[in-house]
Amino acid sequence: MRRTLPLLPQMRRRDVLLGMGAAGAASALPRHLAAQTPSLTMWWWGEQELPGLQAFVEESIAGYDAAQVSSMLQDTSVVISQFQTAAAAGSPPDLQYLWNGIYHMESVWFGYVKALNGLMDEGILRDSNPTVLSNFRGNTYRTGWYPLPMFILYNKDLFDRAGLDADAPPLVWEDFLDACDKLKSAGIAPFGGGAQDGYWAEWYVTHAFAQTIDTVGEAVELFIGDKDFRDPRYHEHWTRLQELRELGFLNDEISSIELYPGIDLVPAGRLAMSMSIGTRLLEDSNATGGRVGAMVLPTFGQGALAGRPIVDMQGLGIAEGSSEPEAAAAFLEYLNSPERLEAFYRLTGWLPASNRFDASLIENEAVAGMWRSWNTDNQITNVTNLMPGQFYEQAAIPTGQQVAQGSMTGEEAGDLAARVAQEWRDFNPDLVELYQEWVEDLSV
Amino acid sequence: MTNPRTLVADGFKQAALGAAALVALAPTVFMIVTALKPQSEYMVNKVGLPREPVLEHFRAVLGSPEFFRWMGNSALLVTGTVLLSTAVAALAAYAIARMEFRGRLTLLALCTALMAVPPVVMVVPLFVLYTQIGLISSYHGAILIYAALVTPFSVYLLTTFFRTIPAEMFEAAVLDGAGDFQILTRIVLPLALPALLTLVIVNALWVWNDLLIAVIFLQDDAKRTLMAGIAVFQGRYNNQIPLTMAGMAVASAPMIILYIIFQRQFVRGLMAGAVK
Amino acid sequence: MTRLKPYLYVAPLVLLLGFVFGTSLVRMFEFSFKMIRGVDGPWIGWRNYRLVLNQPLFWESVGHNLQLLLAIPILIGLSLLTALLLYERLRGWTLWRAVLFLPYVLAIPIIAVVMKQMFQFNGPVNEVLRWLSLDFMALDWIGSPDIALWTVMGLIVWREAALGTILFLARLLSLDESLVEAARIEGANWWQRAWHILIPQMRGVIEFFSVICVITMLSAVFAYVYILGGGRGGPGTSTMVIELYIYNALTRQSLPGIAAAVSVMLFVVSLGLIYLLFVVRRRQDD
Repeated sequence: MRRTLPLLPQMRRRDVLLGMGAAGAASALPRHLAAQTPSLTMWWWGEQELPGLQAFVEESIAGYDAAQVSSMLQDTSVVISQFQTAAAAGSPPDLQYLWNGIYHMESVWFGYVKALNGLMDEGILRDSNPTVLSNFRGNTYRTGWYPLPMFILYNKDLFDRAGLDADAPPLVWEDFLDACDKLKSAGIAPFGGGAQDGYWAEWYVTHAFAQTIDTVGEAVELFIGDKDFRDPRYHEHWTRLQELRELGFLNDEISSIELYPGIDLVPAGRLAMSMSIGTRLLEDSNATGGRVGAMVLPTFGQGALAGRPIVDMQGLGIAEGSSEPEAAAAFLEYLNSPERLEAFYRLTGWLPASNRFDASLIENEAVAGMWRSWNTDNQITNVTNLMPGQFYEQAAIPTGQQVAQGSMTGEEAGDLAARVAQEWRDFNPDLVELYQEWVEDLSV
Repeated sequence: MTNPRTLVADGFKQAALGAAALVALAPTVFMIVTALKPQSEYMVNKVGLPREPVLEHFRAVLGSPEFFRWMGNSALLVTGTVLLSTAVAALAAYAIARMEFRGRLTLLALCTALMAVPPVVMVVPLFVLYTQIGLISSYHGAILIYAALVTPFSVYLLTTFFRTIPAEMFEAAVLDGAGDFQILTRIVLPLALPALLTLVIVNALWVWNDLLIAVIFLQDDAKRTLMAGIAVFQGRYNNQIPLTMAGMAVASAPMIILYIIFQRQFVRGLMAGAVK
Repeated sequence: MTRLKPYLYVAPLVLLLGFVFGTSLVRMFEFSFKMIRGVDGPWIGWRNYRLVLNQPLFWESVGHNLQLLLAIPILIGLSLLTALLLYERLRGWTLWRAVLFLPYVLAIPIIAVVMKQMFQFNGPVNEVLRWLSLDFMALDWIGSPDIALWTVMGLIVWREAALGTILFLARLLSLDESLVEAARIEGANWWQRAWHILIPQMRGVIEFFSVICVITMLSAVFAYVYILGGGRGGPGTSTMVIELYIYNALTRQSLPGIAAAVSVMLFVVSLGLIYLLFVVRRRQDD
């Protein structure tokens, strides 16, 4: 999952986020331990979207005696390519940070990632919430590390000013359009953000496309050709975006600014609603004196996933080429111990993924509220984690950008998506087969 | 000289040059002026001069070790590449221009053909090769690529230049008992100084400015170049425009300062290479 | 020993080029016929080429590179005009010269980042235009798929014209001035002197610069497009060019075979162009 800060040189589309680790490649100081102590290397990422994670990693390593762990914070743009390159060359790290879905499943298919079931405690693994997207042929390839709720951020003061109930945001599309209309009449840009660097279009798919399907496996069926984006049901999300554009409900600068500057418009009081993520919530809440709220994208779709809160999950895994897989698995278990989960919250201000975390520790009201409403059995995963890279680059991003800009209709977006899906199948016959198999694990 | 018509015409010409200079300078001025504005002021005043200039953005950029590390990395790559490619090209060009040997013309033709290779074309096979022999994210690996990409043009240019040196100078040197290497270092290279200057400038600018090779072959955070670094920097702070602009200003400072100091050599060097 | 000496001098060159280009160029051709995953894969004949040549996005990218060629006449015209004005050597001309060459000293990624801010929909350029009541000209420079490529083109012209100006000026300064003086005495005005006397003598350098421009537009615009287009040739696919297509296929789609096939085609076209450059240079030398 890319999301967080958009950046520039992405080596791979998946890289997304942005980089510039505050600390660069930090390596833990070697500690003087018995010669038998295994040594592990860990490549990780996340300080970029969750400041404090570095402190957590360092503290965890310093307090661990069963192995000597050295860590390296990776740059956003190379999280995947660096790992795959090292794995292909036969010298991967023992522990590797893994984004969800295809962002690590491709490495699984290439044979670079080790199955964790059988290697570590089943209960701990299950409770860490790796999500269904980490399963292939009955195996699980990641532990969850921390969750990333995805929602619509809205400015309560602007809602008040437009005469809307700031504590009861719209739930269905008609009410949403009505709210947008009132906001617009009050001279406030209703919805949008910044799509120039493309991630906005991805997030829009995350929220809106999910409404049109019943299982995440159904999304995969669209890529492998069992279903068709030209079916109005499967491009309705783009048609709805077109509707917002035509009604003048998107902010006028959406096409020329980037993702984060776009989200910043909401706490700044210049935009009523935009898409955002959990790790930003605390800061935006503090900046507005608690006057921002989180809502689910109002529903138009009839799919079983419509209207449900979305949570993506960052995770950790073990390389197939690791020479100390048991020691690496033990370290993952240690990171999931109650004491470490508490430390995670203490050092990052954000929540760890595991169910074993004691939620009563949460102090901030905005974060606690997010925990209550998003961490339910009702939550769904992020469908864009299933997208083949080619589809992501050539269909998902271009369609969203152009529909939001007004130079493409929802129907044309459906045509383009169908064509690119077909091209992806032609270019990648081998991946299509693996995807087909993956659907079995996903269509539940 | 004081003909009023000439005066008017000159006025127009000066005005035209002034307008062109304004356009050429505008982005640099915008960059510096914006970097001096507080974030809050930029939101409401994007065009004008800062009401109360602040240095906090420059201080933030100059206070972060990253920028200097990136500059150091870029400087290292530039130095390594320029030294390597100039030495290699000078030796080869001397042989091609002044010696008889089989394969001479083939070699020159090959070099010329390699000038046609767009860098992006080399990325795929080199990436695979470097992965296999473990040269990804190594300075010497990157320097070899940069040097190979700029050397064909260097050989071509120096060969052309060496051929223009009068034969008598060589004959005199041989009579004095000088060997080839001495002729090259004592006579040919000093005479070819303008061309060498051109090469150093063009090649250094090319390597300094490169983004493509840098992002693919130097993935390690500690080896990031300035161009790759600012790309990341602007992504990280893209909601803080004045800070971003301070970063850009600091990043362009070394070349601008070098340009101001060596302006005449800069322009003269480029001219020498361009129009033999 | 003496017979071996030349080879000793060229050996470093052969080693360097051999290491980087030798096997790589061969493998590039080889990869273009394979379905590569990781570092190798099965032979699939011309399939990569067929896939690419049938893909609308590829042709769109080619089209964008060709569209950039439209900038060349403007680029040359502006460079020529500036060089001719500088050639007048009016008071302070060396200062103008120094300023006008500045764009070429600034790195492309830096300038692209700055320009990207300047050309935002609610950015400084549009603010000035709106202040001048030229609202109709306050376009969505980098946000609209219809305009973004023209904005890129503007940036390229802005920077490359600096090089053109210097090249042309160098040629002008090397000319014999007696012809121009004679014309001046006979009362030819500035325009007549430029058009009938100076420009004809500059044909060689103009042709040379044109070919350099063509090569630039076809295979050296990556840094411009990468930053102005949000890293992916956007908005939509409106600033997608061949270099970015290769880069994406390699790094974002795990398709080195496809990237290699496009590289081979670009290589062949570039080879043709460089050949042209030498024909031109030789003519210039004569």
